[in-house]
Amino acid sequence: MASAPQLPLADDLFLTAHDTVKGKSLLSPATLGLGLSAALIAELVLWRRLDLVDGKLTVIDDRPTGDPANTAVLDQLLREGHHRAVRDWIAFLATGVAVDLTARRLARAGHVQRQERRGLLGAAKVFYVPTDSMTAGWPATRVRTSLGQGELLDVPDLVLAGLILATGLDQHVFVTLDARGRGQLFDQFRRRLPAMLQELVAHAEAAVGDAVMARRA
Amino acid sequence: MSTTATEPPQESQLSTALARDRLGVAAVVFFVMSAAAPLTVVAGVVPTGLAVTGLTGISIAFLAVAVVLAIFAVGYVAMARHIANAGAFYAYIARGIGRPFGVGAAWVALVAYNMFQIASYGGFGAIASPLFKDWFGVDIKWWVLALVCWALVAVLGVRDVAVNGKVLATLLVAEIILVVVFSVSDVLSPNFHASAAPLNPGSLVGVGSGALLVMAVTGFVGFEQSVVFSEESRDPRRTVPRATYIAISLIAVLYGFAAWSMISAAGSNVVERAGKEGPDLFFNVASDRLGSAALDLGHALFLTSLIAAMISFHNIIARYTFSLGREGVLPRAFGRTVPGTGAPKNGSLAQSALALVVLVIYAVAGWDPLVQLFFWGGTAGGIGVLLLITVTSIAVIGYFARNPEGEDRWHRFGAPIIGTILLLVVSYLAITNIATLFGVVPGSKPTWVVPLAFVVVTIAGIAWALILRANRPRVYAGIGLGARSGSAAGGFAAALADQQETP
Repeated sequence: MASAPQLPLADDLFLTAHDTVKGKSLLSPATLGLGLSAALIAELVLWRRLDLVDGKLTVIDDRPTGDPANTAVLDQLLREGHHRAVRDWIAFLATGVAVDLTARRLARAGHVQRQERRGLLGAAKVFYVPTDSMTAGWPATRVRTSLGQGELLDVPDLVLAGLILATGLDQHVFVTLDARGRGQLFDQFRRRLPAMLQELVAHAEAAVGDAVMARRA
Repeated sequence: MSTTATEPPQESQLSTALARDRLGVAAVVFFVMSAAAPLTVVAGVVPTGLAVTGLTGISIAFLAVAVVLAIFAVGYVAMARHIANAGAFYAYIARGIGRPFGVGAAWVALVAYNMFQIASYGGFGAIASPLFKDWFGVDIKWWVLALVCWALVAVLGVRDVAVNGKVLATLLVAEIILVVVFSVSDVLSPNFHASAAPLNPGSLVGVGSGALLVMAVTGFVGFEQSVVFSEESRDPRRTVPRATYIAISLIAVLYGFAAWSMISAAGSNVVERAGKEGPDLFFNVASDRLGSAALDLGHALFLTSLIAAMISFHNIIARYTFSLGREGVLPRAFGRTVPGTGAPKNGSLAQSALALVVLVIYAVAGWDPLVQLFFWGGTAGGIGVLLLITVTSIAVIGYFARNPEGEDRWHRFGAPIIGTILLLVVSYLAITNIATLFGVVPGSKPTWVVPLAFVVVTIAGIAWALILRANRPRVYAGIGLGARSGSAAGGFAAALADQQETP
């Protein structure tokens, strides 16, 4: 996957899930966490470090990827090899781990700046403000434009589009997409997205639904 | 993945982090009780029921229903450990009897829960209207007040839901304390003569027993929600069963005691007084031991109790609709949430729209908000839930007959069979006693409209399931799996499913 000039998948999703100017999250904290968890796991699948079959993750290559964020996840997977259920891992990483890893990676690359703002009640809230709103808006724009022009998305962008649907971000990102564009996207999911990644996105979506039912979202 | 073999055993971060979010018994009991709305039942349903039916054996009915539900719960919580989407009756019925009946049950549940929810608007309007006159000297029509509540619930429904939970929990504690304080002060009142009537077991076999039992069932509605947390609880084998039995016992003791002390303190003409004083009966009989400040506080909490009930049922309905939308049992649009809050927006909006239509019809037709909306609506919903519980009990037997793994005979057959027999008897009594329950002439319109409505909705649901089976087999296969399943869910999974079905 390394040849594309685009950011890692979870970074793309993070930027898509936040206001490009103020850095305010468009998703609830629970949903954002679940989406980014799936994105980090997807990065490892794309790096050919992980397999996902029947809801279970298997490490197929334990060499570090060179990327600190997804390598941290890989290390944790290796340390806790007895836990293999992908839903457990999505739930675990969603407790703040995935957001933290992704935000730090974006901050290190200079794409966002960490800011603390005090709300009315005095509680400090952390925001990751994009340094450049064009860069921050690029992932969503790229996916939307490709779909609008009937072009094929590469596999990471297909996962991104899948997670956009799974988290409900499509209500922001895909509003302008017409029925034909939608049909083409669905067709790409079916034909071009590898089965493992299809399954991963479906698990992320089910986890989001789960959170809504259990009043955690 | 065997690199850990040589390292010393260490605390699993994953297990620890996941366990932190898990719920204990108290949290589950709390959640269940908040839907049960104690003051609404004790001060609303019980006095109105006394007035409409003229029956006083309500305390023994609460205890009897508690026993039946506890026996039912044995198989119910056992099956919850084995299926996804526990907490929705239709999931049990789909797995235990068949998917078409499951969809029929899903729709019946939607109707029954809506009856409760909309009934609470009538109760609020009817009770708040005289109070507002008393407190502020303003004469406001019941439906104006009901519509104000409606607007509040509609707005809260599409917004953040986490805040609601804390408010509901605070109100619940205040309500329980108040019910206990008022009931104890009944017992200490000079007019108190311990009455045997509320506890007379004879009333469970006498004329109108079905009406009493339905009123009691109405008080327990919400207990079935405990199993929603099966996958979230600290110990799935213990937490949910314990919470369920504790909630059932608490409700039975609290309501049974409160009803008994109220009837005992009201004197021999309790039915007459209930007719004249309505929901105020609960407050009046305790008044001579408590000051007027306590009464005002009681009234205020009564109103907030009704608001809590309407919000909590609204949320249950909105989530239920969300789950059905994700499965494709209702239109997919209902399976959407507001991205920023996770609130199931479309389900919430649809419920609000339905409630508005009903309120407008009642206001225009000039129907009585207390008896015809609050009491009839609430108890008709109670009948619906009773029928659902009965069919679910049968489904539990059916499920364990085919999937006997992991449970002993008592959980698989013993309790479910005893429970089913008892529930069938209760359901039979309920259906044949509707005239007494509603206080109308046998054979008149309300006595057949309510059961007929449930039958029609069931048949419509079955028909829809058969249409799905013929046209969208993937959606049909996912019925009963809820929002949790990977095969039938929101936008992404639907995209995969729809693509494969439309060549």
